[in-house]
Amino acid sequence: MNLTSWTREPLVHFVALGAVLYVALTWGGNPPDPASRVISVGASEKEKIAESWTLTMGRSPTDAELDQAVDAFVREEVLYREALRLGLDESDAIVRRRLVSKMDLSASLAAETVEPTEDALRAYFEANTERYAALETANAEVSFEQALFKTKAAASAMMSRGAQAGEATSLPAGLTSSPMRDVEARFGQQFAEGLRTLEPSDDWQGPVPSGFGWHVVRLTARNAQPPDFQSLRGVLTNDWRSEQIAARKERAYNVLASAYRIDIDR
Amino acid sequence: MSKAWTKLVCTGAFAIGLSACSDSLPDVGEDQSGDGTGIIELAEFPDRPYWGDTHLHTDNSVDAFGFGTRLGPEEALRFARGEEGTATTGAKTQLARPLDFLVIADHSDGLGATRRLYDAPRWYVEWVMGDETVLRWYDMMHESPQQSTRALGELITAAAEDRLPEAFTAEAEAQAEATKDIWNTQLSTLDRYNEPGVFSAIAGYEWTAMPNGNNLHRVVMFRDGSEKTRQTFPFPGINTKATQLWEYMRGYEEETGGRVLAIPHNPNLSNGLMFQMTMEDGSPMTEEYAALRAWAEPVIEATQIKGDSETHPFLSPNDELAGFGVKGWEIGNLTLSEKTEPSMYAGSYARSGLLRGLTLESQLGVNPYAFGMIGSTDSHTSLATGDEDNFWGKHTGNEQAYTDRATVTQNMGTRVGRFGWHYLAGGYAAAWARGNTRAEIFDAFARREVYATTGPRMSVRVFGGFGFTAADWDGDWVRKGYSEGVPMGGELKETGEAPSFLISAMKDPDGANLDRVQVIKGWIDGSGEMQERIYDVVWSDMASRRRSGGRVPFVGDTVNREDATYTNSIGAAELRTVWTDPDYSQGQRAFYYLRVLEIPTPRWTLFDAVRFGVTLSEDAMADAVAQERAYTSPIWLKINS
Repeated sequence: MNLTSWTREPLVHFVALGAVLYVALTWGGNPPDPASRVISVGASEKEKIAESWTLTMGRSPTDAELDQAVDAFVREEVLYREALRLGLDESDAIVRRRLVSKMDLSASLAAETVEPTEDALRAYFEANTERYAALETANAEVSFEQALFKTKAAASAMMSRGAQAGEATSLPAGLTSSPMRDVEARFGQQFAEGLRTLEPSDDWQGPVPSGFGWHVVRLTARNAQPPDFQSLRGVLTNDWRSEQIAARKERAYNVLASAYRIDIDR
Repeated sequence: MSKAWTKLVCTGAFAIGLSACSDSLPDVGEDQSGDGTGIIELAEFPDRPYWGDTHLHTDNSVDAFGFGTRLGPEEALRFARGEEGTATTGAKTQLARPLDFLVIADHSDGLGATRRLYDAPRWYVEWVMGDETVLRWYDMMHESPQQSTRALGELITAAAEDRLPEAFTAEAEAQAEATKDIWNTQLSTLDRYNEPGVFSAIAGYEWTAMPNGNNLHRVVMFRDGSEKTRQTFPFPGINTKATQLWEYMRGYEEETGGRVLAIPHNPNLSNGLMFQMTMEDGSPMTEEYAALRAWAEPVIEATQIKGDSETHPFLSPNDELAGFGVKGWEIGNLTLSEKTEPSMYAGSYARSGLLRGLTLESQLGVNPYAFGMIGSTDSHTSLATGDEDNFWGKHTGNEQAYTDRATVTQNMGTRVGRFGWHYLAGGYAAAWARGNTRAEIFDAFARREVYATTGPRMSVRVFGGFGFTAADWDGDWVRKGYSEGVPMGGELKETGEAPSFLISAMKDPDGANLDRVQVIKGWIDGSGEMQERIYDVVWSDMASRRRSGGRVPFVGDTVNREDATYTNSIGAAELRTVWTDPDYSQGQRAFYYLRVLEIPTPRWTLFDAVRFGVTLSEDAMADAVAQERAYTSPIWLKINS
């Protein structure tokens, strides 16, 4: 087990998070205790209130504003503790939902700005090579000519006679080294699917159906690049990040969930 | 308390090696962060339409967040590029076909403000901001999605009536800082998803001026990469005028050497203010004003979720296909604070705006309303969906999770009149470009070589010139069109000869067949009056569908109301023709644009009715099938003065 893998262990997270919480809560003086009837606002509490004010407003509070914020803090603390004493937090669906989304958000917040290391990105690429290869194949560059006919019968007949003249159309008579993405945009999905089933050849093939009619096609080249790490770097980074955000939410949940025994009757 | 908790968790995350809490984002290479010039091989001529949405809101928009959206720019970009996404209300969704470009156009006013309000501790809102209204909104936002939607309805109305609580507007300084942060973060995100040749992630925002609830909104769109766009910030809409926006745009271009344009939208909700014969203050229009507007606003958004602005049946009584997407929207301005009188319509619709432009040009020598047309969504869900069978709502309060969304009143329709079914599924913008880069897409907009569709991706091309004939189809007609004529958005100088047009319309390859192509001509007649006329120039089955009484017979209707399906057994896959103006008269200023109609297909409301078992009202059911359409940018015929 190397350094990076043990840091991914939920148990390690749990212990570390517990330690951090313990230090933070004891260091900060009074852990919020709903049973206590004492509310002290000392220099350190004031500092925190001022900091919070600054974070929201983008500047430091004036003395009057700070006094007001402290009063507000005290008032909220009193009402908050009373609410807990009454058990309002336990039965309120809105409180529950708000707390849940707060936890979810906290987990993803950190991941939104994170960057993969070179190694992490390569590992991600290796692990997903098949997926990226499939995307490259689906978007292979093709060269082909085509002629359009109104009916399947007309298309088949023309193909067997080797004729190329089809209907007059504004569709391109052919494309050279075009990615399938582009073929799909011009000829539609049905045609693209049909084209994918053909093998390159000098012969006219088909007919391939599309929203416009029936096409006879001479597919002369198909070139799918093998997935290349350097050229995919941008896509990889985006995909990695977006997966990380989801994964961190899940991992954060699992860390917490691992502290519970969950029995579900099924 | 909650703030401290967030920080604590963040510290905890750092301690166990997850990440630091910082908002610095990585840089990408210049290929991605620039305008795309010199990166990809370009076609000799624009060779296909690229499809995009220039008007998408994410959770950074003050109203979108308030309506409940929790998807941001990153999710929006991934979705537009064709990735599967998860809507805020939970369901998985994906575009049937990816888009080629996207402008995220969040409101510049209060960028991120509702999100910050929502995330603030309640004591702060109650005691520091100290405003009962703001606190009520805060509580409504936390109470339920429905209440949140209602709160935002109130907020928008208050903003429109210029009576936002002081506590809300007083945070100007913090707001400015937040706007900078969000803008810069967004520019980095756009760069990361910008991929020349594949997808253009274009910088922009919405300037949201609405005096007394009259919609004067513009989407501002940049050509440039982040090196230049970082030198500016979104210009506020509250308490500013369009002329100030244009000055800001000119300033940006002078300072950075970049390019920017503005796209007015929803003139249909402006109560006649979008295309006035005068300047905003009612004084006679000056040449300077007209020139500035023409420079700043080459394109308008003619169709979107909040209705269609092409024309109104009142203005175009002889246009039997006018009135698409007008119902519900025609009764008042954006917030429904004022009713719309028929006398206001002429300033509220594109066709009459184009006509007014001709009149003003004859007086001033400059046409302030020489605009092209595009469609977009104006979706507030981060999901740029324009297809009828995949409609994700105006905002999160009418995503598909709310299965009765077609039958209930709209959020701002508490005063009776606008219902869910009045929403359109949204449109798209098509740009004829030589390749897919920020610069190429922008330049297509700037030269107006763009067109609007109500969602389907039909491929529409027109060249205007003198002496085009049917024989041109046999050769390289595109080359001929560009070398001997002008494409949509272009201008012809009169020669004394009637102009002719090469017209080609292909159906959406994965969609419905075409019914017909029309040329809409607007001109100023010999006595100075504005005139319009609709010409059916090519339609399906012309041999059997013969004109009778001057009209082309109805194409038919294959829509099955029981299961929301249709068949392509009627209509045509492709329509093209060469058309020469039979009513040309020398010395008359004119414009010509195409309207392309599909055969009737189900609207999103019919899909909803079938999928969710919702019963539509009689009115809604009568409107549940429609002929979707495209509007090209006009070609203008300029006269020798």
